[in-house]
Amino acid sequence: MANETTQTHESTGADGHASGGGLPQFQFVWWPGQVVWLLLIFVVLYVLLSKLFLPRVGGTIQTRADKIAADVAQARDLKTQAEAESATALAELAKARTHAQRTASEAKAKANAEAATRQAAEEAVLAEKLAVAEDRIRVSRDAALGNVRTIASDIAAAITDKLTGVAATADEVETALTAAKA
Amino acid sequence: MADPMHQFQIHKVVDLPTVNLPGLGVVDLSITNSVVSMGMAAGLICVFFALAARQAVVPGRLQSVGEMLYSLVDDLAGSIIGHEGKVFFPFVFTLFSFILAMNFLGMFLVFTATSQLAVTVTLAMLTILTVVVVGFARNGFGFFKLFVPSGVPAFLLILMVPIEIISFLVRPVTLALRLFGNMIGGHVVLKIFAGFIISLGLLASGGGIASLGYLGSAVSLGSVVALTALEFIVAFLQAFVFAALTCVYLNDVVNLHSH
Repeated sequence: MANETTQTHESTGADGHASGGGLPQFQFVWWPGQVVWLLLIFVVLYVLLSKLFLPRVGGTIQTRADKIAADVAQARDLKTQAEAESATALAELAKARTHAQRTASEAKAKANAEAATRQAAEEAVLAEKLAVAEDRIRVSRDAALGNVRTIASDIAAAITDKLTGVAATADEVETALTAAKA
Repeated sequence: MADPMHQFQIHKVVDLPTVNLPGLGVVDLSITNSVVSMGMAAGLICVFFALAARQAVVPGRLQSVGEMLYSLVDDLAGSIIGHEGKVFFPFVFTLFSFILAMNFLGMFLVFTATSQLAVTVTLAMLTILTVVVVGFARNGFGFFKLFVPSGVPAFLLILMVPIEIISFLVRPVTLALRLFGNMIGGHVVLKIFAGFIISLGLLASGGGIASLGYLGSAVSLGSVVALTALEFIVAFLQAFVFAALTCVYLNDVVNLHSH
C-alpha cells in the first residue's frame, strides 16, 4: 500500500526530472522491479552457467591437463625405453668390440706361429743346404789338397829328370815329399 | 551542458502489468532500461560461452579467453576457500561474470546496470545471505563463533565481539557501495569531461581571450580518452574485487573451525 503511494508520487516527480536534486538511483519506485528482475536473471544465469557452460569449460581444461599428463608420461616411458635400448646397444657394441679384439689377437697369434714354423722350416732347409754346400767345399778342398801332392811329385820327377837326366823313382819322390812336408 | 546524472535515469521500455508477489507486495515488473541492460549482460555471457565453451584440446582465441576467465575465478576460489572452493565456484563465477558483463556493457551502451544502487545492493545482499545460509548450514549455531576471535583474553572480548559484529554487518554495505560508487563516479566524471569539450569549445568560438577555451577543450578530450581506458580497468577490477570478497566471506564461514 505504502509502496503504491510512493510510486505515484515518485513517478510524477521522476517524469518531471528537471529538478536535478538527488540521484536517479534513489527513486525507490524503480527498486522492486530491478531487484526482482535481477534475482530472476541471476538465477537463470547461475543455472545455465553451473549446469551447462562451466562443466564444459572445466571438463575441457581437465581433459587437456589429463592429456598433457598422459603425453608427458608416455614420453617419459619412451625415453626410459630408449635409454634402456641404448644401454643394451652399447653393451652389445662393447661385447662385439671385445670379441673382435680377441679374434684379431687370436688371428695374429696364429699368424705369428705359422710364420715362426714356416721360418723355422725355411731355416732348416737353408741350414741343410749350407751343410751340403760346406761338405762339397770340404770335399773339393780335400781333393784339391790331394792333387797338390800329385802335382808336387810330378813336378819333382820332372825337375830331377831335367837336372840329372834320370827321373827319380816314385818311391824317392814320395820319401822326399814326406820329409819336406815334415 | 547535459545533466551528467541523466544517464542513470530509469525509464520503462516495455510496459508490463504489476504483479502481486507474495511477501513483496505489488511489484511493477515492467521492462526498464536497467532490466534490458541486465538481460543483455546475461545474454552476452550465454552467447560468449556458447561460442567459447568448445572442447578443443588446442583452444582458439575465444576458447582461450573463456578458459582464462574460468581459471581466474577457479584459482581465486581455490586459493581463498581451499579445496571446498569447488562447491562455491559456480556462484562466484556467476557473480563475477555478471558484474563484469554489466560493467563492460556500460562502457559501450548508455546505461550501466551496476551504477544502480538497487542492483549493487541486491547483489551484495545475495552474497551476504548466501554467506549466512552457508554459515548456518555448515556450523549450525557455531556460526556465531565468527564474532568471537580465538586466542583473545576474555576481557578484550567485550570490546572485540561488538567490533566483529559491526564489521560483519558493514560487509554488505561496503560491498554494494564500492561497486556502485566506482561505477557511478567513473561515468559521471566521463560525462562531465565530455561535456567540457563541447561547452569550452562553444565558449572559445566567441573569439578573443576566450579562444583559450580550445585548449581546455583539447585537455578535456584527452582526459576522456585516458579516463575511458581507466574505466575499463575499473570495470574489470570491481568485478574481480566483488568476486574475491565473496570468496573471503565464504571462506570465513566454510573454514570457521580453523579460525
